[in-house]
Amino acid sequence: MEYLASNKIGIVDLTTREILEEELEDDLVLEKIGGVGITRSLYDRFADEDPVILGTGLLTGSLVPGSALSVITAKSPVTGRVSHAPLTLDAGMELKYSGFDYLVIKGAAVKPVYLWVHDGILDINEDNDLWGKDVWAATDHIRSLMGDDLIQVLGIGEAGERASDLAQICINYWQSGDRMGFGGLLGKKQLKLIAIRGMGLLEIAEPEEFVEHCAGLLSAVKSGGAAKIRGIAAMAAALGAPDLDDWLKPLTHKHMACFNTPLPTNTFVFLDEDPALLKETTVAEPGFLLTDISPLLKLKRLGLPAADACRILRECAKRGMDGAAVAELSEKAGLKDMGAIQGALSTLKGPAPTAGETAFSPWAAIGNQDPATWLRRQAVAYIFGLDPVFALIAPELTEEKLLDIASIGTELELTSETLDEVVAHITGS
Amino acid sequence: MGLKIDVLTCTACMACELACGYHRDDAFALLSSCIMPYRAKEKKNYVGVMLKEEDSLVAARPEGLEINRIGEQQDPEKEADASAKPMLLREACDLCEDVDDGPLCIKFCPVNAISMD
Repeated sequence: MEYLASNKIGIVDLTTREILEEELEDDLVLEKIGGVGITRSLYDRFADEDPVILGTGLLTGSLVPGSALSVITAKSPVTGRVSHAPLTLDAGMELKYSGFDYLVIKGAAVKPVYLWVHDGILDINEDNDLWGKDVWAATDHIRSLMGDDLIQVLGIGEAGERASDLAQICINYWQSGDRMGFGGLLGKKQLKLIAIRGMGLLEIAEPEEFVEHCAGLLSAVKSGGAAKIRGIAAMAAALGAPDLDDWLKPLTHKHMACFNTPLPTNTFVFLDEDPALLKETTVAEPGFLLTDISPLLKLKRLGLPAADACRILRECAKRGMDGAAVAELSEKAGLKDMGAIQGALSTLKGPAPTAGETAFSPWAAIGNQDPATWLRRQAVAYIFGLDPVFALIAPELTEEKLLDIASIGTELELTSETLDEVVAHITGS
Repeated sequence: MGLKIDVLTCTACMACELACGYHRDDAFALLSSCIMPYRAKEKKNYVGVMLKEEDSLVAARPEGLEINRIGEQQDPEKEADASAKPMLLREACDLCEDVDDGPLCIKFCPVNAISMD
């Protein structure tokens, strides 16, 4: 695969410590396009070896608006089904530029390890100081060790280490869209984290034409109905969920975007600092980046003040726990205040009730979307590598345009028939 | 004439950095961009934008604009930003002089945080 790709699949066997590399063949892309199309194919190929697959979308890391997404595919310990969870913020892009398009992680290590993925190199490393650290401390540790604060870290906390069904693979310090218990899978593999740094280069088959199409898509999005959305509360409202704006506004420091995503879908709240502060704070850990709408809705429903809800979610992220599942289980257990919920975090047990019924993490399934439309749109976003929340509210990125631009960028003839087949295979429809 | 950056509007999406990299390499890459949001203080959510110009390194910070003349000694008491060194090695902004409709960072900024000064 010459264009929009690093042309490499890394295959890691944690049991034997063997690392293999394969080319990403054009034929595979022509048949499966990319993203979940290919991660599912790789999962099926290595299914007997309990694999966790990381993969990039065909357009991830490009100038196509919303091109932030990579994906984790594995058998969910929560649902027992092969499932997919999104990797957004800057982590999806970083994987694309790391020199690998896909990573297959199979087997289990005999002692704790981490993966270091960078510059087309894949290492299995031991670090006696990592296991036992919370997600934040582990991220700080690995960035300090490598001397690079831009390393993207997919890591687990204590919940993952004890293979809890509530465990989540976090992104750096923040919650991810992993609603599938994949954090527990890494724990079982004794894989504490995957550190990723991307400094590669992606060639484009027809650069000028591709970039002009990207500019056209961005222009359409900026003229579209969702153009004014700023932050997680506005995003919830746009998806038809209850309004969170008044609740969160007093804490809001700044709205932040995932990589090349036109709408800032995340909101940073200051909990231990004045949210209006414009200069650099002297507080080391002043707040939390809100990346997930569902737990906010659930905790608000419990009657919690926004600051308490955000503190709970920060604690969940440090422990590597799915905040939405924690909120739901807390409600079932009758826990209604911050102290009670935080006190119960180490004893809350799943199964996480929020895993949903489709192959996709229901991270973006909020509000009043039509299920069939949601499923199709998620599949398309996960194939091409688009932020799935953004994809839901940006109808300007039509399937036809995505196929067209992907064909221009790769010089491969990608058709709507192929897309239909891949979507049908992924969704089982 | 140069670029003007409204860092309070910036959402740190990196579209400007990617567009600039494309201008340099005719491919997608981030290492050669002369503009970049810096993301190194993630836990503090402290975001700025750095721009390499011919004679200076411009840091658009929430506190205001900081212009460091290249080659002049900086305040030794001040903590160096981890992103500054690789920026100094990059080509200076040429305002995409070969692009008909202006700098690509402006064109691809989704929130209109970059404009011509």
